[in-house]
Parts: sequence; structure tokens; C-alpha cells
Amino acid sequence: MLEPHYGELNMPPAAATNLAHKPPDGGWGWAVVVAAFISIGFSYAFPKSLTIYFKEIQEYFSVSYSEIAWLSSVMLASMYAGGPVSSILVNRYGSRPVVMLGGLMVSAAMVLSSFGTTIIHLYLCVGVIGGFGLAFNLQPALTIIGTYFQAKRPLANGLAMTGSPVFLSILAPLNQFLFDSYGWRGSFLILGSVVFNCCVAGALMRPVSNQKPKGCLPPSNEAVDQGAVADAGPQTADSDPEEGQHEGKGQTQNSKLVDLTLFKHRGFLIYLVGNVVMFFGFFAPVVFLAPYAKHQGIDEYSAAFLLTIFALVDMFIRPFTGFLGNTRRIRPKIQYFFSFAVSYNGICHLLFPLASGYQGLVVYAVFFGVGFGMVSALLFEVLMDLVGAPRFSSAVGLVTIIECGPVLLGPPISGALVDTFGEYKYLYSTCGVLMLTPGIFFFVMHYFNYKKLEDEQKQKAAGEMRRPEETVELKSNNEANK
Amino acid sequence: MRKVAVLKSQNSTQNVQLLNPVNLSLECSLTADHNNLPNISAFWSQDGREIPDSRLTVALENQQYHLQRLFYISGEEMLGSYSCVFENGVRADFILATPPFGEVRDKPVVSYVRDFVVLPCKMEEAKPKPLSWRWFRGNKTHKEQISEQPERFQIHSEERKSKLKVINLTHEDAGVYYCGAVYAIGTTMNPIELKVITYQEPLKPFIGILIEVVLLVAVIFLCEKRRSKKNTSKGNEENVDQNNIKLQEEEKGAEEGSSMRQRKV
Repeated sequence: MLEPHYGELNMPPAAATNLAHKPPDGGWGWAVVVAAFISIGFSYAFPKSLTIYFKEIQEYFSVSYSEIAWLSSVMLASMYAGGPVSSILVNRYGSRPVVMLGGLMVSAAMVLSSFGTTIIHLYLCVGVIGGFGLAFNLQPALTIIGTYFQAKRPLANGLAMTGSPVFLSILAPLNQFLFDSYGWRGSFLILGSVVFNCCVAGALMRPVSNQKPKGCLPPSNEAVDQGAVADAGPQTADSDPEEGQHEGKGQTQNSKLVDLTLFKHRGFLIYLVGNVVMFFGFFAPVVFLAPYAKHQGIDEYSAAFLLTIFALVDMFIRPFTGFLGNTRRIRPKIQYFFSFAVSYNGICHLLFPLASGYQGLVVYAVFFGVGFGMVSALLFEVLMDLVGAPRFSSAVGLVTIIECGPVLLGPPISGALVDTFGEYKYLYSTCGVLMLTPGIFFFVMHYFNYKKLEDEQKQKAAGEMRRPEETVELKSNNEANK
Repeated sequence: MRKVAVLKSQNSTQNVQLLNPVNLSLECSLTADHNNLPNISAFWSQDGREIPDSRLTVALENQQYHLQRLFYISGEEMLGSYSCVFENGVRADFILATPPFGEVRDKPVVSYVRDFVVLPCKMEEAKPKPLSWRWFRGNKTHKEQISEQPERFQIHSEERKSKLKVINLTHEDAGVYYCGAVYAIGTTMNPIELKVITYQEPLKPFIGILIEVVLLVAVIFLCEKRRSKKNTSKGNEENVDQNNIKLQEEEKGAEEGSSMRQRKV
């Protein structure tokens, strides 16, 4: 009875959603995808696009290059450190207020910094406040997709993540234009208003339960706790349509602030370990692509064009990956798809030193664009797949703060590698290994994990068949063991 | 110093970088074509004007016509374009100049009234070091040197870099500034344009976009309120019936439903 059911419905055997309501999988959900597209776009692309102003700011404040580069690091660190704070807020209040607060924060940060008189002023405004504001955009955007989508979730995630390359392609020339017209101060002021559009994204992030008509039965909190969806189904909304309360009730029962029981979750641990290693080698190849090209004697414009090719490929691969992840064959075993994507990146980097001439670099840019896009599109989808939508908010908060280390350390260590050896090929070989190893690790671990999950499902099914009353106890035991 | 240009049938141009006053020997060798004239006439010109008494008749030697002249380049006035011109029109140009700047910034630097601005200038590692740096203001014809005034201009120069800081900007400060890398033989100029604007300029797009955001957010929330009002009125009517039906369904389907939905969702 178990097998046909499961194959037929194309759902993964993992924790499933355990949501206390049924995700619409469409309708207003697509507006939410647009909102997430905007929030994710700003979160990832905004810090990168600010680098255009660095030279002038460096002259203006008479600081060294590394001091100005710190601005990026502080912003990125704040964005990742803000993850858990963001999770807590989303768990309590839902996505919408957090995103709107985030938009306000980044906006205010940019406006304040445009009047800055010292570089410390910039670190605090753009770096800390701006970084936190972006964290308050990223997490909730990812979380709300999990509440609106289940069947079409990989596609929704892939589409939303496309925001990052699209926004980078828009922000880069926009920032250049602003800089030429207004200098850095005026540009920061105007960017403050541009980034204020995050509040529009927040406004679109209507809480799911608002959709349901009033007068529905409130869910029993114990049911949500034990993961059973007995009274769930279409009639889930509270009499109070606030999503925050609705989710909050479920979450606050599970954990006080952040769900630390996740550290006992097998799938979460696999994801965490693999990702920490992977992130050391994930971004460095992008950062060093143009310098490597110039090192090979290629002129500045052609080197920049490589990045354009990379971004274009990335832009189209992300929704396509989301679509692929949604297909019947791949969705149940989406973890293998992710493992493949990570390993593919590793192989790309390992083969890169063989590339010669500008054509070789272009080929690499295309292949790498595919790999980067695939991993990015699936990055959060697989986490949702492993821990389920209700715990996703806490999971992503914990993951980002732990990933903070490798993300920040990756490029400087790579830079040190390049300086020590004077050659780029060791860098790419190292990154290749750093991606291939987690890829293989994921393949192996998820093979075992899928097996274990299937066994657990069989146990549950067998238990339910036997005695309905004892079912509840059995289930709660399983949850605790996970 | 000796600079040679070898010509066949096409003109050639050479850049000669000079730092100090020097005795410069310029030579042109024209390879003979099928005509093989025994003599050919040629002259030297400076900045397009023929140098008086420089016209010579050159004899054919080893399939080549060889022309040479010694110049003493003493100062900046002597820099420019020197050419050897042969009778058949073939010429070689030698452009004598101080080391040029690498990156020339074509877009103006923008700053604000009552703010300050730092104009940077750099001579790359590959080029020779200048003896000193000077800054000028003006146009191509008349340049005025800027001297350090504590409240207005500050110049900070290193070996290969120089910065001009203009404090307390006003609209009159806008215009072209020249940073000069001084060598014994002359000064290389690099123009930098400065634009001075008021805070009101960026304020206009800022407020424009702000209004756009507020409008969009308001529209979205209004639409949502209207939709929920519609739902409430509908919902209130169906409420009572729904509740009854649901309660009945619940009791029936509780056990089967829970195991089914567990896998379904």
C-alpha cells in the first residue's frame, strides 16, 4: 500500500511538510515568488554591486584597499550573523513584517551612510545595519516559499533564486550610472530609495492563512507538535488570520527561540557538514575568474565579458533546474540531484587548468555557470526537503551563521594561495577538491539516509495499520529519535 | 641617444620618451624600390614646418637611402613631432614627449557644495618616476599653478602618486584641473574634470522612488483589505454550514484521514 501511494504522488519520503495547512501551490503563491525574487535579488546582489564605489571612497577617506574591502566583509558577516535573529523573528511574526523591517533598515542605513564622515560610519551603517537588513530579507523570503508551495516548490525556489543574477545584472550598470552622475554620496542616497523596494516585496508576502475564509477550526497544537496532520487539510486557519500566530503557536511549542533539536536531525547534519566544506570553494572561482583571465594576457573587457557570460548562463539555469527538480523522476530523490550539482562543480574546477586560450575560458565560464546555477537553485530547496517547511526557518538561520566562516574565509585563503604559488591553477584544483568531496559525501550519505527514511516510513505504516490509538505514541517516538 | 626608423613604402610613427635634456640622433633608412634612383632628396620638419637648411640629397648605398640628423633637446619647447620626409612622400615621425599617463579618466569627478574632494593622479610602476608633482587649473592655453592654501587646497605627493584635496567646495571650483608630473625636460599633464552639485540633485530621484514604493505598498494593502472583506462576508454566511459538515467529516475520517494525509501533503 505504501509504494504505489508514494510513487504516484511524487513526494519525497523525507520529513515532508508537516505543515498545519495545505500549501496553495499557485494562485497568490506566484506573487510571493516575485516578492522572494526581489528580496533574494537584493540580498545577494546588493553587497556585490557596491564594489564599484570602493575606489572613490578609498580616495575620499584616505584609507588602504584592505580597509575598504572590509566593508564588504562586514556586510556579508552581518548578513550571515543576522540569520538566526531573522529566524527567530520569522518564527514569531511571520515573513511579512520581517521583510518590511529589513527593507526599512537597509534603506535607512544607505541614507545615513550618504552623510558619513568617517569610514567607521560606513562600516556601521552599510556594513552592520545594512547587512542585518538584508538578512531580514533573505531568510523570510526563502521561508515563505515553503508555506505557499509543496508540489511545485523546487520550481518556485529555482525561480526565486534567479533574482540574484538578474539583480546583479541590473544593479551593476545602474550603480555605474549613479556613480558617474552623482558621486558616491548621492548614489548611496538614491540606492537607499532603490533598496526600499524590499518593502514592496514584503507587502506582497501575504501570510498564507489570510487566504482562508474565516470561521475555520483552529488546529490543535499537540497535533502540530507530533507532526500528525489529522485535523489539517483545508481547514487550518485560525480564527485569527495572522500567520505569525499560527506558525508561532506551532513553533513556540517546539522550541523557545530557535529549534536546536535540528542538531539531532540526520538530514540537517548531512547538509550542514557538506555545505561547510563546500562553501570554502564555492565563491572563490567566481571572484578570481577575471583576474585569472587578465593574468593569461586577456584584455580587461574580454575578461569582464567572461563574467557576463557566466551570469547569463546562471540566470537561465536556475529556473530550469527548479523545473527539473520538480519532475516526477527527480523530485523524490532530489538530494541526489543536489549531490550531482555539487560534484559537477568540482569536476569543472578540476578540469579548468586544461583550458587554454580565450575559447577555453569561455567554455569554462559556460560550464561553471551551469554548475553554479544548479547548486544555487537547489541550495535551499534541499534543506526544505530535509527538515520540512515548519522547521526551515530555524534551519536556515543556523546554517547561515555556521556558513559565515567558510564564506568569509574562502576568498582571502584563495587569495593567499594565489600569492604563495603565483599561479591560479592550484587555486582551481583546490576548489575542485573542496566541491567534489562534499558532492561524493552527499551521494553516499543520502543513499543511506533515503534507505533509513524508507524503513522508518514502513515502520510507521505498519504501526498505523495495527492499532490506531497507539499510532500517535509511535509517531511521537519516531520524531523524538530523529 | 639614437633613434632609427626603417622605412619601405609606408610611413612610420615612433614615440620617444624623454626625461632629461639630451643629444638625440634621429635616423631614417629608406629601402630602395625598383626605381633605384641614384639620388633622392629629403628634408627634416618640426611640428609640420620644414626646418630651414635641412634639405639634403641622399645617395643610394646598399639598397638604402640613409638620412641622419643630430638634435639637441634642451627644454620643453623642443619637444614635439619631428619628421624626416623623402621626395617620394614616404616619411617617419618621431614624437618626443615626457612619459604619458596610463589611465586617463574620461568622466568627471562629482562632489557636493561644502563637501571636499580628492583628485588623484598616478604614474605607473612601468614608467619613470617624476621629479615632483604640480597641480594646475585652467584651460588648454592658460594654466595657473595651484599653491597650497590651508583652507582651500591641500596637495599630498608621494613618488608616484599625488592627490589634490579641494576643501569647502563651491560652484566656482568646478572645471578642469591638471596634475603635472614634472621631469627635467618637461611636465606631463593629466586633465581631471570636477563637477560640483548640490544635495538637491540626488534628492529628486530619491524622493521619486520613495513615493513609488509607498504607493505600491499602499495599493497592495488596499487590495488585500478589500479581498478579505469580501471573504468575510461570504464566509459568515457559509460558516455555520461548514462547521457542521466539517465536524461530521472529522469524526468519520479521523483515523484513516490521518494516515492518508501524512503521506499526501
